[in-house]
Amino acid sequence: MASFRQCVLCLPLMFCAAATVSAQERPYFVTYTHYLEEPGNLEVALANTTGVPKNDHAVYNAPWLELEYGLTGWWTAELYVETVTTTRDGSGFTGWRWENRFRPLRGEHRVNPVVYVEYESINEASRIQKEIVGSGGVAYEPIAELRDHPARELEAKLILSSAARAWNLSENLIVEKNLSADEGVEFGYSVGVSRPIGTLASGTTCHFCAENFVAGIEAYGGLGSTVSFDKDQQRHYVAPVLAWHVTDRSTLKASVGVGLTGSSDRCLVRMGWSYELSLRGGK
Amino acid sequence: MKRQVEQAKARVKGNAAGRLIVVVWVAFAGQLVAQTDRVRERDPSWTAPAKDAEQSNPFTGRASIVTGGQKVYGQRCHTCHGSQGQGTTRAPSLVAADVQAQTDGALFWKISGGNTRAGMPSFSFLPGAQRWQLVLHLRRLATEVD
Repeated sequence: MASFRQCVLCLPLMFCAAATVSAQERPYFVTYTHYLEEPGNLEVALANTTGVPKNDHAVYNAPWLELEYGLTGWWTAELYVETVTTTRDGSGFTGWRWENRFRPLRGEHRVNPVVYVEYESINEASRIQKEIVGSGGVAYEPIAELRDHPARELEAKLILSSAARAWNLSENLIVEKNLSADEGVEFGYSVGVSRPIGTLASGTTCHFCAENFVAGIEAYGGLGSTVSFDKDQQRHYVAPVLAWHVTDRSTLKASVGVGLTGSSDRCLVRMGWSYELSLRGGK
Repeated sequence: MKRQVEQAKARVKGNAAGRLIVVVWVAFAGQLVAQTDRVRERDPSWTAPAKDAEQSNPFTGRASIVTGGQKVYGQRCHTCHGSQGQGTTRAPSLVAADVQAQTDGALFWKISGGNTRAGMPSFSFLPGAQRWQLVLHLRRLATEVD
């Protein structure tokens, strides 16, 4: 415990000592591309999902903190800590996630595969909806009740991503297994396409130049499980996304996901801010 | 009752899996980070295909464009390659003769695709125009060293 406290106390010092580097944050919230974190770089991100449900259920906010670190050129690890708060059903800590992304091929190809493996120690109150799998809507019971139901899950994704001219096209196939309950293996997907608004870099420092903005759209949802494939119970969303590189180090992004099925929430509004640091500066 | 026992067993199984994953991860990651702290050597096997190396820079001779390349270099490259492209413990020199001897097309190909095994990220997310601007700036860095 003492060593954990020391680590927490050292974090601000690490930030001060770190060299700053340019952010290359993906514009999407759910879809992953083949771009990994640069080796030795740490990205700190804060984001929030605001869900507006149907049928008079309480609006919820699910904020999360994300620490992404580039271990090598082909391996990036990420830690998430997430919470939830609702307008009338309570608030609470909903768990943590630990993901690893591996890029098996060396250079750039027409389609670039990345293998993604994640362990989640969350509970049924989790609503960040970093991905959507299986079928069934969000559980709207009081948060205190849902927190008593832990969900330890293993998740894998096959990320396929392509760069064509200035465009990015990414497809993610998701497989998830809840180790804490017998729910079968659940499936999901996400796809995204995006493009920088400006192509040529201007010679001056500017915050509102077109080159600092990336616009796109992503779609994501669940595809049932080995136990049930009930189309009517699946959640699907389509969400325009916009990312703004506010400074060389930080990116602000937003999306408004519109629910496409009866089980989906009316909309998911997401906002995120990230800041990138180099912890292993070259000498 | 039976269901509760099954759920408890599943939780224990989930916990054990989590602990195992943490231990294996820390062991591997520690090893890799230790390795990447060494001075990085050039990867001699990393060469551009002939058809990519033949591409010419559409901005050659346009002096006004190079300042944009300088800005992109400051954002994306200087932390690893040094502010003047002189190289650091993280990445090799870009003003060395063997780098400057490569064609514009070869440099563009390397910036675009990267070399994940040697720690060079792929910059294909930058528009092509900005990657060509970077190539222009690399040429200018070499003339400044001379």
